[in-house]
Amino acid sequence: MLHLLKIDLKKLTSYRTFWIVCGLYFLTLGFGAASGMELLKLLANTFEKFGQELNINRIPLYHFPDVWMNLVWFSGLIKIVLAIMVVISITNEYTYRTLRQNIIDGMSRSQFLLSKILTNVLLSLMSVAMIFVVGLVTGMIYSPEIRISQMLTDLEFFPAYFLEIFFFLSYALMLGILIQRSGLTIILLLLSQMVETIITANIDNYVPWLIPYFPMKSIWNLIEFPLPRYAFQEIKDYITFGTVVTVIAWTLVFNYISYFKLKRADI
Amino acid sequence: METVLSITNLTKKFGRLTAVNNINLEVKRGQVFGMLGPNGSGKTTTLGMLMSVVNPTAGAFSWFGELPSNQVRKKIGAVLEHPIFYPYLSGQKNLELNAMIKECPPENIPNVLELVELTERKDDKYKTYSLGMKQRLAIASALLNDPTVLILDEPTNGLDPMGIAEIRELIKKIAANGKTIILASHLLDEVQKVCSHFAILKRGNLIHTGPVADASKGTETIEVHADVEGLNELLLNFGGTSSIARENGYYQVSLRDSFNSKDLNRFLFEHGVVADHLVTKRKSLEKMFLEILAEANH
Repeated sequence: MLHLLKIDLKKLTSYRTFWIVCGLYFLTLGFGAASGMELLKLLANTFEKFGQELNINRIPLYHFPDVWMNLVWFSGLIKIVLAIMVVISITNEYTYRTLRQNIIDGMSRSQFLLSKILTNVLLSLMSVAMIFVVGLVTGMIYSPEIRISQMLTDLEFFPAYFLEIFFFLSYALMLGILIQRSGLTIILLLLSQMVETIITANIDNYVPWLIPYFPMKSIWNLIEFPLPRYAFQEIKDYITFGTVVTVIAWTLVFNYISYFKLKRADI
Repeated sequence: METVLSITNLTKKFGRLTAVNNINLEVKRGQVFGMLGPNGSGKTTTLGMLMSVVNPTAGAFSWFGELPSNQVRKKIGAVLEHPIFYPYLSGQKNLELNAMIKECPPENIPNVLELVELTERKDDKYKTYSLGMKQRLAIASALLNDPTVLILDEPTNGLDPMGIAEIRELIKKIAANGKTIILASHLLDEVQKVCSHFAILKRGNLIHTGPVADASKGTETIEVHADVEGLNELLLNFGGTSSIARENGYYQVSLRDSFNSKDLNRFLFEHGVVADHLVTKRKSLEKMFLEILAEANH
């Protein structure tokens, strides 16, 4: 297993595009997650212009345990960048025909796929670690009092965040294997959300119970938008079993389709 | 002799096109086996199936008596069609990666680089290499795990005459070490120069297989010239002549079996003619190849 991961990392770590895209991703992730207070200040300024007052200290954006869910939700928005890197990594193997040579040199097709999936796991874990560290630091800074019990509350958002990223990278990998061309794959990846929204909007009147099971929708349902809770609205600030199962099921389907396609294809 | 590769009834269909049709073939240890055939005759598809990148429609094959698996492929060094590497990696890094895939020690890398004379350029990116260097790196990569079998598909494709000669020398050097080599090519001259055995494919069918030495046996052609009148008639009177053609001012005399150039020379001399040009030409693989292809048309 580790050997397969090392093989894929060997391909990537000397690839400049990989460093640029991943560098941008993790920088945006880190700085973005840490600059929430600046955003709130901006918001407060806008409110002042309209003669309203917004006391930003009353919004516990970075207070334990709120910080976990807030950061995880916002960080999920830029997973597309990491997914594009995954697309480039897999479609390169087709355009350079190195997939073919890897098999000739003695990898099995499932080993090849596994090496790519393991990289996806690693990238997802790194995102989780990044957000955990940023959350820990900002939480320490902004929380009025630090209590271990509050720090340990809501940590289930991290496994959920891992699932969210890994789900999306699996989806990107599958698209890459099915389409094999980077440009077209990236366009489809970007359009996925919109296409799904159009479909769900059209079937809303007929089979509304089906909608939560759509892939992109299942991700939105896994971790809900957290900010309305500061406007005294009731939100689902926990993870439900049903949404986890749906996301895991889709992740398995994506990876199985990749496997099936790779196993059957002449390469 | 030990069988390295055994193919039974191997078939590949792409939709309605049959690319490889029911091929049976055996390659023994130590052979340099040439696969001949015009472009599109199914050579690369056959090799692709043997390396498990193309799924056969029907039939089977075994390497070293084992069923195909990725472990077996690690014992084979193969270059199909053209060299394939990661363009953004250096030659050295590409070989390191291949060593990881083949699970062989990276200590072999300097040796194979030395063998193909790429040591000086090993740290340059692959995309900066010339075609000849790319071909040589591919051969280095194939040799990395000291394979018992080497598969080369058109290894001199697109090379200049010097590059061709270099690769040819390299193949001979490798063959001298007792490795089994399977060489696909449409260059007959190349196969005749390096191969011990050969097979001919045509539109996916195997139409001939045998030793190269046998191909150059058989009827001889003698090229004759003499400054006399009526040489044509005289040559026709010779008992061993089966046919005569005139090419470039020389008479090309095809002999019947059991006659040779000595007999013709003696005959001419006895009739008071001294030839100023007399060359024995063995049948080339090229001629044999064309004959076999022509026969297969009927």
